[in-house]
Amino acid sequence: MELVCVGLNHRTAPVEVRERFAVPAGKLGESAKQLLEIEGLGESVVLSTCNRTEFYLAGDHAEDAAATLRRKLAESHGADSDPHWYEHHRLSAAKHLCRVVCGLDSMVLGETEIFGQAKEAYRQALDAGATSGVLNRLFQRAFGVGKKVRTDTRIQEGATSVAGASVELAEKIFGKLAGCRVIVIGAGEMSRQTAQALVSRGASSVFVTNRSFDKAEALAAEMGGRAVKFDEWQPVLAGVDVVISSTSAPHPVVLPHHIESVRRVRKFRPLFLIDIAVPRDIDPACGDIEEVYLYDIDTLEQLADEARTRRQRQIAECDRIIEEELRKLNLPGT
Amino acid sequence: MDRWFLIAATALAAVGGVIGMWSVHKGTRNRWTVIWMIAVFAAQLGFLSVRGEARAACPLVGLGEILVFLAWSLTLFYLVVGPTYRLSLLGVFTAPVVVVFQAVALLPGVLDPDPQRVTGSDPWRETHAAMSVLSYGSLALAAVAGVMFLVLDRQLKDHHLQSGLFRNLPPVRELLKSMVRLLWIGVALLSIGIIAGFLMPRQSGGGHLVAALAVWTGYAGLLSVRLVRGLTGRRTATVAVLLFVVSLSVFALV
Repeated sequence: MELVCVGLNHRTAPVEVRERFAVPAGKLGESAKQLLEIEGLGESVVLSTCNRTEFYLAGDHAEDAAATLRRKLAESHGADSDPHWYEHHRLSAAKHLCRVVCGLDSMVLGETEIFGQAKEAYRQALDAGATSGVLNRLFQRAFGVGKKVRTDTRIQEGATSVAGASVELAEKIFGKLAGCRVIVIGAGEMSRQTAQALVSRGASSVFVTNRSFDKAEALAAEMGGRAVKFDEWQPVLAGVDVVISSTSAPHPVVLPHHIESVRRVRKFRPLFLIDIAVPRDIDPACGDIEEVYLYDIDTLEQLADEARTRRQRQIAECDRIIEEELRKLNLPGT
Repeated sequence: MDRWFLIAATALAAVGGVIGMWSVHKGTRNRWTVIWMIAVFAAQLGFLSVRGEARAACPLVGLGEILVFLAWSLTLFYLVVGPTYRLSLLGVFTAPVVVVFQAVALLPGVLDPDPQRVTGSDPWRETHAAMSVLSYGSLALAAVAGVMFLVLDRQLKDHHLQSGLFRNLPPVRELLKSMVRLLWIGVALLSIGIIAGFLMPRQSGGGHLVAALAVWTGYAGLLSVRLVRGLTGRRTATVAVLLFVVSLSVFALV
């Protein structure tokens, strides 16, 4: 029994190559079933995401089948992709799958979306009858390892982007973000991403203001929020919990007196100010107001950077767990 | 026997607190805090039931029994509030306060070694004592939540976000909500205690009732200002902590 993984990912292939080999989400099982037509192959699973396309193959002559598969792919999609492919054999293939499932091979280290994507790929292959003893055991163990790594290590801990760090801080201040109100000052890309991240975690009302009202309206429509004219945003401050500011103004836009004027109306509730503009949009003196928590781009980037470093430090521990679990599995072909 | 229950309750609270703090230091969440505090609560109940039987009344005679009743009340409120609002860390902060109260009660001479049956018991007197001490349990827990808020507020303001404590502290809004609710419960119970105090037969001048009224006014004032005008979390927490410390000192003197 042989076990092989053939694949390309964001490290080995640029997007223009990856997109040629992407398999539609609903056809993973069908593709896995088709692969079984290759001689010497008994089982297969096809995993395809925006960052990778991988074929997990098991059979008495899976290594020969992998060579046949690559030849067929070169014939159908062009031989120029050949240098982008990698192969893992036997134990290395099993380890690779576990690393993928744990998010260790992802663009954002430790991300969890891949876990669900791998589960879906396996489910489709199982339903299509493309898996049997070896890949069933391997994938089930890989999912078990993925859960163990998430529980026993800190590979997922901390947000690794400015938007993610902002959401984490907002949750530390407000708990669940359902019902949280947000105002976005300046309809740039960074503020869009940050507001989107807050909305995805439950923030309910989004107000958008921008010097160009058209842009404010466009972003508000995208967020399901309301556009506010740039000279009318100050009264809105009374009702919001989070302010995201990212204008290109050369001087501060949000000043202490803007907040002081609405403190009583707000009944001194906590206010989270996110300043992702350079030069800064929010006067640092706003942070001296008791109920205000002010974070600028440098602090947020530093938080994201520290989280990335912490995750990097967890890799060795994750690999140790993977090795230990695979040793217990004692899978044929590894 | 009662003393052994108290020693067990104190030791359990101390060990639970130390384990909880160690977990916090390491940055992990300790799910055992509630279990430790349940064990503490059981041992406190053991103590109070033995003393209650000896007294044939609510065991609130002398400083020792009052302190243990207060520690029991504090634990009770933690067990009600902690799991409900997922504030397991509240237990880590509560345990040291429980240890201090009970350790003082264990000091030689504080606890009456031979509790006598209470004669001439009056229901208003018992209601007054029990409700007043219960209210202090709630107000003590509000002060604990206040300290937690002040720690978190400082860390968020100074951008010191890497400690295990920061990771384990509940959100600002949750802490504020639970602190204010505990203050309301404490004031409500204290109101019943004070009313019962005025209805009970009094031998002495009732200095402690005046002190209780002053304390009640302080807490009621804090809650009214917060309700009507609004108050920052930091000021609410600071006043809640100060009022508790001051009122405890006042009662120790009266």
